[in-house]
Amino acid sequence: MKHVFKLIAAYLKVNLQQAAAYRADTTFSIVMNLFWLVWELISLQVIFSNTSSLSGWGLGELIALLGVWRLANMFMYSIVWPNTERFNTSIRDGSFDYNLLQPVNSQLLVSISRVVVWRVWEIVLAAILIGVGVSMSRSIATFSNLVSFLVLALSGMAVLYSLWIVLIAFTFWFVKFDNNVTILDALMSAGRFPATVYPPWLRIIVTFVIPIAIATTVPLQGLRGDLAWWQVLVFLGIGVAALFISSRIWRAGIRKYSSASS
Amino acid sequence: MLKIFQRLWQVNWAEQWQYRANLIMYLLYGLVSPVVYLSVWRAVANSQNTVKGLTAADFAAYYLTLVIVDKLTQEITIHIFAYKVQDGTLSDDLLRPTHPLLTNGLMYNIAFKVLTLIALAPIWVVLFLAFRPDFSHVTAANLSLATLAVLGGFAINFLLGAIITCIAFWTTRVYSISEFIYAFALLLGGTFVPLDLLPVAVQNVARFLPFQLFIYFPIQLILGRLTPDQIRMDFILQAVWFGLALLAFGWIWRAGLKRYSAVGA
Repeated sequence: MKHVFKLIAAYLKVNLQQAAAYRADTTFSIVMNLFWLVWELISLQVIFSNTSSLSGWGLGELIALLGVWRLANMFMYSIVWPNTERFNTSIRDGSFDYNLLQPVNSQLLVSISRVVVWRVWEIVLAAILIGVGVSMSRSIATFSNLVSFLVLALSGMAVLYSLWIVLIAFTFWFVKFDNNVTILDALMSAGRFPATVYPPWLRIIVTFVIPIAIATTVPLQGLRGDLAWWQVLVFLGIGVAALFISSRIWRAGIRKYSSASS
Repeated sequence: MLKIFQRLWQVNWAEQWQYRANLIMYLLYGLVSPVVYLSVWRAVANSQNTVKGLTAADFAAYYLTLVIVDKLTQEITIHIFAYKVQDGTLSDDLLRPTHPLLTNGLMYNIAFKVLTLIALAPIWVVLFLAFRPDFSHVTAANLSLATLAVLGGFAINFLLGAIITCIAFWTTRVYSISEFIYAFALLLGGTFVPLDLLPVAVQNVARFLPFQLFIYFPIQLILGRLTPDQIRMDFILQAVWFGLALLAFGWIWRAGLKRYSAVGA
């Protein structure tokens, strides 16, 4: 376990050095990111200048949801996309072999070898959004609500992560399947609003098929105190099960892999 | 000249036909946002009957028209051209006796448009059945006027896209600049929300900006929600913006070519 952390630290350091080499680009990306945040807040303001509640959710709750959504989004752009790109290339040219030769879990290597480090600050931003949102909304965040929020947010992220691992593992079976992560990214924008506003068919897609809502709407429902303790446990179970199943599929995929270069 | 366009059409069509799976991906990707916004406004309209006079069926009509109008007037010039300036492959295009953007770039856009619209048709029917829009005010006269508005809107959007793409002659950050302007277009053009729902001060600014001329104006024209005065005004605005964009493009293209140093080629 200890060398796993050492490995992660080493990769983060390399990625940090990379970001430092392109300082102007990094600064510019942060400015654009803030600009989009302003855009998202304005769009919420426009909605709530025309109504006082969106399917029972107030402005404060949607600001908090925006914070949670940005966390999931951060995960997409700091880890999922950069590593997918690298992974797809490595499958195509066979350099994935070198990954398998390392004496560590290949899934771990595939997940962390490229990280867009500057996006880490979005955790702070998200925390601010969630804090402001919660204090603006009428519902009072009790300690147990906060705990269930954290548990649900973590298991939601675990579900998103697992889905991603399954999607890229499919590449082992279908080589022409490298477009798949786009599906995950496309439905991401549906997570900015509570799943309850969508018509049933779309709600089913974002909850069960591509479960963006599990990482966005559900944690916030926990924070609002909408969920009973056993429901929180069920979602935690789903997160753990997803991690387990995805690592199984990953291993099955590895066995299927027949290097392109040799 | 017509023969050149005809030949370029064949080339671009054949090229993009090869990427039809990617194109469907791209199309579905672009449909998520309108469906999300439509769902949000529908939820609001359902909870209080109307939003500034618009019912849930009106919102459905707006966004379902939007997905068509948006495809008709969209342009993707920056994705096919900016990298050529940066890696120097533009030199090949410049050797040809035709204007690379106004002939090949234009045809690429149109071939892309036609293919996306064909792929959109079945999905649109599904959305129609799912959201039950109210198209009762659409008339043949409005549709024929809207054809003109769509043509004018595409011309303006294409030129704006070409102008932004030409910024690539000066900086590599052209994609970020384009993203920045795109965000304004989303809000002030009518993609996020029908402009009547914005604060009045913002509406007054948005009216005179070019973005609404290729999204909001054609949609409202099709849906029969504009008075004859407003229609006249918007057509005049389209003419003015088209003229301005044409002048600006002519200038930036010439100035850009002077700076172009064929890096890497």
